[in-house]
Amino acid sequence: MVNDGGQLYTMEGVAAGLIMLLTAYIVISTTSVYTPGDTHIPDMQLEQLGNDVLAMMDTPDRDGEESQLVGFVKNVTGPCGGNDLWDEFLDNCKMRAGDEDDNLHAQAYLSYRRSDGSVDTTPLSSEDPEFTGRENTVRVTRWVQLPVGSPSDMPPDVETTRPQAVLVEVLLWRA
Amino acid sequence: MACMNEDGQWIVLMGLLVAVGLFFLALIINQSALVGQTTAEGVLEFPKNDIRDLREAVFDYVDEFDHEEDTESKAVRDDIIAISLERKNAVVNFSVGDPEDISGRDLHPITIHYNNGVTEYDETVYY
Repeated sequence: MVNDGGQLYTMEGVAAGLIMLLTAYIVISTTSVYTPGDTHIPDMQLEQLGNDVLAMMDTPDRDGEESQLVGFVKNVTGPCGGNDLWDEFLDNCKMRAGDEDDNLHAQAYLSYRRSDGSVDTTPLSSEDPEFTGRENTVRVTRWVQLPVGSPSDMPPDVETTRPQAVLVEVLLWRA
Repeated sequence: MACMNEDGQWIVLMGLLVAVGLFFLALIINQSALVGQTTAEGVLEFPKNDIRDLREAVFDYVDEFDHEEDTESKAVRDDIIAISLERKNAVVNFSVGDPEDISGRDLHPITIHYNNGVTEYDETVYY
């Protein structure tokens, strides 16, 4: 005859076993703790934001017209040049993100091909005084095609005697 | 165990059950950071914007030079290929063919190849 007394004590034993197992699990899993900073989610969002803003700036107001971005690259050192590109880029980022993000920094560069076939990269905007080169930056890029004669006032090894394709690169980070 | 009051044992057990349930919910929340990481890295690794931008650069090239091969168009094509390799670690090639009659419109067949070692993209598009 099976005696079914003490069932609750059995359950208690099961519960105690469960608690011990869970404790062991928690102890073992504490060796890796993920924080949101490890997950690259802000990087992903920042990259998407930067790409959206560059696409926005590269869209002309009307069909056949020159986009704002091309205009900025054409007069690199002049008025409406590289520093205005930087300024406009950050303004648009803040506008797209929907808040006044004072921690957002950017640095624009231009990559071009020299006549000997090598590729050189030159700053397009003035250096950010706080930029140390160790920031956790994301890089967004956009192709720009320039007609003969531009960009003006560039390093002498930029070929302005032919149309060319150049790459605008923007480093974007929060500090 | 003599003289011990064993009333309310089920209440205690149910309390334990609720505690275990809460624990599993906490586990799920804990995993969400990991899921976010995989998603974010997947998005970062896939060069969606690079490919879109390359297509637009090629279309701009066709707008400018059509399908003619001269020193100017060759230089712009070499710009795109060389800068892609140097700055974006991507092997890129594209070619533009003679216009063909596609549904009553003359369109250039453009083949675009893109490979950055992780993602390979090949396309023939009529533009």
